[in-house]
Amino acid sequence: MGLGMAETIAGKGLDVILLDQTEEDLERAKDALELALQKRLAKWGITEAEKKGILSRITMTTEWEHLRDCDLVVESVWEVLEDKAEVLQAIEAVVSPETVIGSNTATLSITEMAAYCEHSDRIIGMHFHYPVVTREVVEVVRGLKTTDRTVAHAEQFIRSLEKTPVRVFESPGYITARLMMPVMNEAVNLLSEGVASKEDIDTAMKAGYGFTLGPLELADRFGLDTLVHMLDVLFRETADPRYRPSAHLRKLVRAGRLGIKTREGFYQYDELGDKLEGGVDL
Amino acid sequence: MNILVVNCGSSSLKYQLFDMPDERVLVKGNVEKIGAEDAIHGYKTDAHEGKDVKPILDHKEALRDVLAVLTSAELGILTSPADIDAIGHRVVHGGEQFALSTVINEEVTRAIRDTYDLAPLHNPANMQGIEAMEAVLPGVPQVAVFDTAFHQTMPKEHYLYPLPYVLYQRYKIRRYGFHGTSHRYVSSRVPHVVGKDLSRLKIISCHIGNGASLAAIENGRSVDTSMGMTPLEGVMMGTRSGDVDPSVLEFVIRKEGLSEEQLANMLNKHSGLYGVSGVTGDMRQIEEERSKGNARAALAFSMYEYRIRKYIGAYIAAMNGCDVLLFTAGVGENSATLRREICENLSYLGVLLDHEANEKGRGERIISKPDSTVTLCVIPTNEELMIARDTHGLVTGLQNRQNLPPMQ
Repeated sequence: MGLGMAETIAGKGLDVILLDQTEEDLERAKDALELALQKRLAKWGITEAEKKGILSRITMTTEWEHLRDCDLVVESVWEVLEDKAEVLQAIEAVVSPETVIGSNTATLSITEMAAYCEHSDRIIGMHFHYPVVTREVVEVVRGLKTTDRTVAHAEQFIRSLEKTPVRVFESPGYITARLMMPVMNEAVNLLSEGVASKEDIDTAMKAGYGFTLGPLELADRFGLDTLVHMLDVLFRETADPRYRPSAHLRKLVRAGRLGIKTREGFYQYDELGDKLEGGVDL
Repeated sequence: MNILVVNCGSSSLKYQLFDMPDERVLVKGNVEKIGAEDAIHGYKTDAHEGKDVKPILDHKEALRDVLAVLTSAELGILTSPADIDAIGHRVVHGGEQFALSTVINEEVTRAIRDTYDLAPLHNPANMQGIEAMEAVLPGVPQVAVFDTAFHQTMPKEHYLYPLPYVLYQRYKIRRYGFHGTSHRYVSSRVPHVVGKDLSRLKIISCHIGNGASLAAIENGRSVDTSMGMTPLEGVMMGTRSGDVDPSVLEFVIRKEGLSEEQLANMLNKHSGLYGVSGVTGDMRQIEEERSKGNARAALAFSMYEYRIRKYIGAYIAAMNGCDVLLFTAGVGENSATLRREICENLSYLGVLLDHEANEKGRGERIISKPDSTVTLCVIPTNEELMIARDTHGLVTGLQNRQNLPPMQ
């Protein structure tokens, strides 16, 4: 997700620092970025010169110090509140007090995260959607202490990426996760109950409701482990059974079938992440 | 009178300072990467050449930097910014409102804003230049010269698309044409070159550069041109497709799963000479590759030549004749091979190319034999000079009006 954001932002001509924990992480990021750009080039989305431009504007580093001069920092670490809070504190330690700090979270409380920070007024949720390059919506989530200035700054930034901000007050799952997580979860239930084939479930939602991807294809892209994790967070937060992850979904995750990233989820994928025909049923 | 001609892109600013009416260029310059920490400002006079790399955050700052260079003691061109008497701006799209260049006032800026929809990449950038100039040199007259204006003389049956008429009424969807300033400049040179009065001539003007368009010019007025509502229509270009069957696009979107943006990029940046050859969109390289035996480059060249020639044929039919066929812009002025292949395939018309003049000649010239039925010419374009002339004309007109005694 962080990589997709970096690719998108650099694609609009802005300089990006991409910070990760280890050199190995960065090596992987470099390869993935190269691959993503190559795919866009092959589909005429960018030119060779634009690809070079994007690569040249992204600086990859493991040094926190590099964030010092950034006008905006967005964290995109694993969806665990304590981890995110720790990262926000580390960001605050290097940037100026005015720098707006965004959290790319789909389910967690901005107010709670901001409580760990010194200047909680400049902490804001900026929920980008996967795949970042093509998904146009960004949920802008206000915590209790987030100021108007912070919101305006974040929205202006999102518009400069030619994306559309939607404002959300803090609530578990905001708009998109709250609506889509149960849809994907219920699609898995349909499949495991033998009500319909995976293809027909996806086709029904694509042909019937104009989804560009069916709920099971979407789950594969999301990562089934991420999906389970986010459903768990929503379930714990709300104690509402409609968010309880499907048992079948948990089983797939335990079997290591996590979706595109392991080349197998509900469908099978090639090394470029393109769907292979067929795939394994239940 | 010192006239600054400005061409603003989204992150660039090209300029030339003219001494009018002598038409002398005092300095030429270019600011690139506006908005970056390492913006580049290069400039050139007869005696000096300079280049600065520094942070330039917006167009206002870029213009201040330009003024600083113009007034620097080192160049010694101007003593103060007040020595600039007028500014001429290139504006890409004038919509239907502007058939002529015009002095910029509030109404004009509003009308230019109204055309943002039609030229989303260019007009906002042009407008930034106008606003920045107003901020940096308030009160100095500014003139807008539109790429589309020259083609506003096209009759309705030529500029409308055969689509539901309501689309024209709602959104002004129609053909506008571009490169108008260039077509106007080169056609205005024709009488000097061929020694005939413009009002009696049927001219086909081929502006062939990175982008390319042809214009059919009758009695000095554009009656048709190959670019349409956007600069994508018409002949094949360096990286743009030109005309294609619109249903192909629907087919490709479906087969390749493309987004609107990908489709637009494919047509604008991955097609034309580049898309066919797979090597380059640059005509010089295409010719080089072709001579080395690269079959795809040869194919790209032939398609390019063929599509231009088809348009020439169409315009001969459109005007019921042609007296002058002229070539201009990067490729049109420099590729003797392309001109030769086009003209050799027009022998039915009685076109006789003078190979010597075509290949060895330089600059503005006739390249046909005296007994050719159509006079062939090469006329280097100069859009900046045209903008300077329009600006000079409008501003002196303005001053003369102000100097008139009050009406009795």
